[in-house]
Amino acid sequence: MVLSRQRRFVTPGPEETIEELAARALPGQPLQAAVDSIKSWNLHVFAMRRPPGLMLGSDVIFVEPPVSNG
Amino acid sequence: MFDVIVRGGTVVDGTGAPGFAGDVAVKDGRIAAVGQISGEARTVVDARGRVVAPGFIDPHTHFDVQLLWDGAARPALEHGVTCVVPGNCSLSLAPLKADDRKAVVGMFQQIEEMPPEAFTTAFEWTWEDFAGYRAAIEKGLSINVAPLVGHSVIRLWVMGPASQERAAFPDEIAAMQALLRECLKAGAVGLSTSFVDLDAHGKPVPSRYAQFDELDALCAVLGEFGRMLQVVPEFYATDITIARIDQLAELSIRHGIPTTFSPLFDTLAVPDNAERAIARVEEQFARGARVWPQMQTRPIDISFSLLRPSLFFARLPRWVRILRQPLEQRVAALTDPDTRAKMLADLGPDGGEAMFGRLVARGGDACPPEYVGKTLSEIARLRGQPAGLALIKLSLENGLDVAFLSASQGHQSTDRIGPMLAHPLVHIGASDGGAHLASFSTYGDTGYLFSEFVRKAGAMSLEKAVAKITSETADIWGLKDRGRLAPGQCADIVVFDADAIDRGDELPAFDMPGDGMRYVRAARGVDTVLVNGEVAYAQGAYTASRSGVVCV
Ligand SMILES: [Zn+2]
Repeated sequence: MVLSRQRRFVTPGPEETIEELAARALPGQPLQAAVDSIKSWNLHVFAMRRPPGLMLGSDVIFVEPPVSNG
Repeated sequence: MFDVIVRGGTVVDGTGAPGFAGDVAVKDGRIAAVGQISGEARTVVDARGRVVAPGFIDPHTHFDVQLLWDGAARPALEHGVTCVVPGNCSLSLAPLKADDRKAVVGMFQQIEEMPPEAFTTAFEWTWEDFAGYRAAIEKGLSINVAPLVGHSVIRLWVMGPASQERAAFPDEIAAMQALLRECLKAGAVGLSTSFVDLDAHGKPVPSRYAQFDELDALCAVLGEFGRMLQVVPEFYATDITIARIDQLAELSIRHGIPTTFSPLFDTLAVPDNAERAIARVEEQFARGARVWPQMQTRPIDISFSLLRPSLFFARLPRWVRILRQPLEQRVAALTDPDTRAKMLADLGPDGGEAMFGRLVARGGDACPPEYVGKTLSEIARLRGQPAGLALIKLSLENGLDVAFLSASQGHQSTDRIGPMLAHPLVHIGASDGGAHLASFSTYGDTGYLFSEFVRKAGAMSLEKAVAKITSETADIWGLKDRGRLAPGQCADIVVFDADAIDRGDELPAFDMPGDGMRYVRAARGVDTVLVNGEVAYAQGAYTASRSGVVCV
């Protein structure tokens, strides 16, 4: 059975910064734009968490906006 | 000569097959025969007019500490529960070095809302390793226990303070694997981990600092034994829950292990949440993964007073900070006009009407009788105060000991939840038994399954409901010889009235070490409970039997 398409994500590497993660996850995009996108798709890490932006090894970091599954 | 014969009941054997009139005979802790039995027994249990079923299994509890002074996990046993799984959510009491006890007690306090006295006054810490913990609880068990070991404590043991700072090095991962292997050999039913919880200082628990490769390495050890991985996902966000389901599916397939995540809630605020998660689970099962979502039967009801911190205020960080202070400072803060003004401002322009108005003042505490049973909205009107201010002032006037109930905060639609509970891939569980002591009763979910979803809504047959919490649970968790009434099976048996089984009213009880209060619900309609062939509960009373075991 083929899995339906769900929102793609990565998990942060050890000591990985948001810039490194953005460059890895969204290669070819201008870095700042990539960082901004990652932040906006992951409010659970970059807005709701104290301190905001503390990335943990077990985190799910989405690399695209929510997908519509119809 | 049998030890016990349960005579004349309707045998609902746990497989889902239709009930039939018959007897169940027990010898040496096992079921010897099922059917029309002519022999004699030392003990005869009259089950006429009653259902005779396998004992229920509760797969998500935090009885880790209670089992040290109460081997029946009261009141779980009287509800017909004959096996509990403690050690969920990355937390267990072993393996745990003496120096780390305080930190882990803080996590239990923060995450599971358990008072520190429960860990300091009622027993002696005699162990550090898992085998030692097992020996400590086994002395007095009258219920069976299938304990998980917590990822956070394994990480803490190996890495110390670095467990809450960084990824593990390869030698540390190897040490965690060895430690987990030792726990599994000593009777752990699997490993639990958490992706959401915070410790007593608001810091993520150790398991959250683990890279996926660490979890993968630990699951490889689970794979050697075929044992369970339990996780707490970000249940409040559907996309993240689905990502977790996919991770669990990878681990399940790669290592040949069962996995389960809990909780999965239905919420009208995000109506497709549970539906989407279950759809993903179906897809993952179809490709060979085992990812069991655990769903509780009861609606989310939360009670609180300003006497202790409560998850009710989770969305109000200032309130959380203030209510976490020692009593004297807390009262001073609530009395201070500046602080109070800021707290009230947090509630929005309506003074807390929308947020707090539907709260109901509970009885059984220091609440003035004229307010008991009234909503805070009504109380606010009577007092001529906005709801938030009425909450604070009424509490202050009565030593903070005024409890409020916030009913049906979610997961309350029987019409929606019934079909989900009946779904073949949904695992009924997630009670959190033994935790959240002053927030809600975590006992009686099995009774509620029968009263609400079998009798009232007809969402499933009695036989199906029994199967869901007996044989299916035993099979999901790999609990050998449990969950069925058949010759050779362990004699965990519950005798109940199908028309009456239910959970009682939620009432405060003061039976915890120290002055600890907790909410409990008594059982209704449960006559007799046998654990490994011995009567552990009958006619409303616990017996002196100590026949429970660690059953892994
Ligand atoms: Zn839990």
